[in-house]
Amino acid sequence: MRLTKSFKLSLNILLHSRLRSWLTIIGIIIGIAAVVAIISISEGAQQQLNSNLGNLGADTLTITQGASRAMGPGDFGRGTEESSSTTSKNLTSKDILMLKNLPNVEYVMGQISGREDLTYMTKTATLEIVGVDTNVWKEITTEQLASGRFLTNGDTYSVVLGGSIVSSTFKDGIPLNSQIVINGKSFKVVGILKEGRSVYMSIDTAKTVLEISEDKFDSISVKLNDISLSNDTITAITNRLMLSHGIIDSNKKDFTVSSPTSMQETIQQTMSTMTLFLGAIAAISLLVGAVGIANTMFTSVLEKTKEIGIMKAIGAKDKDIMIIFLLNAALIGLIGGIGGTILGFFASEAISSLGGISTTTSGAGRGFLGGFGSSSYVSPELIIGALVFSILVGMIAGAIPARKASRLNPVDALRYE
Amino acid sequence: MKTNIIELKNVKKTYKMGKNQVDAVSDINLIIYKGEFVIINGASGSGKSTIMHLIGCLDVPSQGSVLLEDRDILSLTKSQMAKIRGKKIGFIFQQFNLIRTLTALENVALPMEFQNNYIKAEERAKELLELVELKDRMHHKPTELSGGQAQRVAIARALANNPEIILADEPTGNLDSETGEKVIEMLYKLHKEHGKTLIIITHDTNFISKFRNIARIIKLKDGRIIYGKK
Repeated sequence: MRLTKSFKLSLNILLHSRLRSWLTIIGIIIGIAAVVAIISISEGAQQQLNSNLGNLGADTLTITQGASRAMGPGDFGRGTEESSSTTSKNLTSKDILMLKNLPNVEYVMGQISGREDLTYMTKTATLEIVGVDTNVWKEITTEQLASGRFLTNGDTYSVVLGGSIVSSTFKDGIPLNSQIVINGKSFKVVGILKEGRSVYMSIDTAKTVLEISEDKFDSISVKLNDISLSNDTITAITNRLMLSHGIIDSNKKDFTVSSPTSMQETIQQTMSTMTLFLGAIAAISLLVGAVGIANTMFTSVLEKTKEIGIMKAIGAKDKDIMIIFLLNAALIGLIGGIGGTILGFFASEAISSLGGISTTTSGAGRGFLGGFGSSSYVSPELIIGALVFSILVGMIAGAIPARKASRLNPVDALRYE
Repeated sequence: MKTNIIELKNVKKTYKMGKNQVDAVSDINLIIYKGEFVIINGASGSGKSTIMHLIGCLDVPSQGSVLLEDRDILSLTKSQMAKIRGKKIGFIFQQFNLIRTLTALENVALPMEFQNNYIKAEERAKELLELVELKDRMHHKPTELSGGQAQRVAIARALANNPEIILADEPTGNLDSETGEKVIEMLYKLHKEHGKTLIIITHDTNFISKFRNIARIIKLKDGRIIYGKK
């Protein structure tokens, strides 16, 4: 029998099957939707991550305080936690001086941060205050201005606000050039960034506002001339800082040099672990769906026993029957796959829009963590893959019932009522 | 010169009924010639259906041999048997046995499609439906047809691959006498005008008296031929 005819017959069976087939299809829809949603969210996050890391500037290294560990998978979060709790030597202006004359280093900038209340008109919010070197900040930052200007040399009581502060924290907005109050001091808003929830000001002012007197930085950013030499530069920076901090054993470093590439790798590792975990859950739901198909097919074969007998009596070969039922199972899989892909697409859109609202990370972390779940991406490969996979699931689940159908003895099948 | 089309030699068919072995038929020796009209008659349980299954290549004997055009069906593969059922034999059943979800036209075309005779399938199916005077009902499903109409669709389907043998199992069993008559007339016409070997299995004695002079009557009792062996 020709394949198109077998297909027509199997479609006929499906169209005339009862509610049961459609319930089975729902099972597959859920399984495929879960897989599609998980993969598309993870792919979207990956893309966002890559573009964010691009924004951050792959040519900028970040040095943070704290026990330096090799940044292995999953260590990213822990590394930063430890850094804040360390009481060993801080990053100081001496360190900055030492790094400035290293080869391949274009700019070096120390940065401090803390939290303080910001008051505008009658409303007050606690926000992250970031103190930056006004000379080099605009060279090193990847933030983009929505309006106004970056901080420049001599900006003492001027601030640049992150975009989210103006758009969501203070819902009525803070206009450019208006006055705000932080810790009793009045500042002029000279610039507003496109994104972010931090308040940027000169590092000296920030120290006053945050009441920090000692010479220390939370992090030092180093912009490189030539990114291809970044590994050499990381080694040079490490050696120089170890020297400055009087450390001989490289395992006892009290700082961490991280490049966007190493962060990217770490985050990607973490994300793929998560994707794998979620994928395993989705796979289980697909497995349940496949068992559902097998179950439906067995019932369908039983229900169609008489018709199988008739078809055999009028000349159907075992192979013909086998193909008809296999195609029937594949069709259930395919319809489930189409439905699942559509549902998965909308589910991932919904999840990522939720994710987008709730991301409120700051500083360097904003780009990465905000990226997770803030967009999803359904690639053509994913769609094709999901459909092929669902067809396969259907055919595998339908194989045994189809075989059973094809092997029915025509006499017994004809007698079946 | 008469040509054998079907020959049953010392055929025995045993079924398992729980732990017991039951002989459905035994010592069956029967030759049916090409173009013959044979009525196989017997009460229920006499082995009629078993004989029909054996002649129709739906089943194989437990002992003895069934020869179809001098070929032993025991020597055939399952798919060769399927091919013979499709090409050489046209089945007509008491319960019509049409596929419920297909239209009359699709039902008639189906045997041709199983034989990959798809080029002319639809065209021929229409012609056959015209032959059984049902061309105007060809897009109806079996549930939308009367019993007589359904059985005529089944006749058209049996003719699809232009088989040598038409094998009808109680073809009028589910029909009132008037429509039954029409169906029988149609079958007889196929035998008379087209020279088909017609084998009708029935328990209906009226039927036998009607065709006593035209058909060879074979009577079965308790799984053995008691009359009409030849």
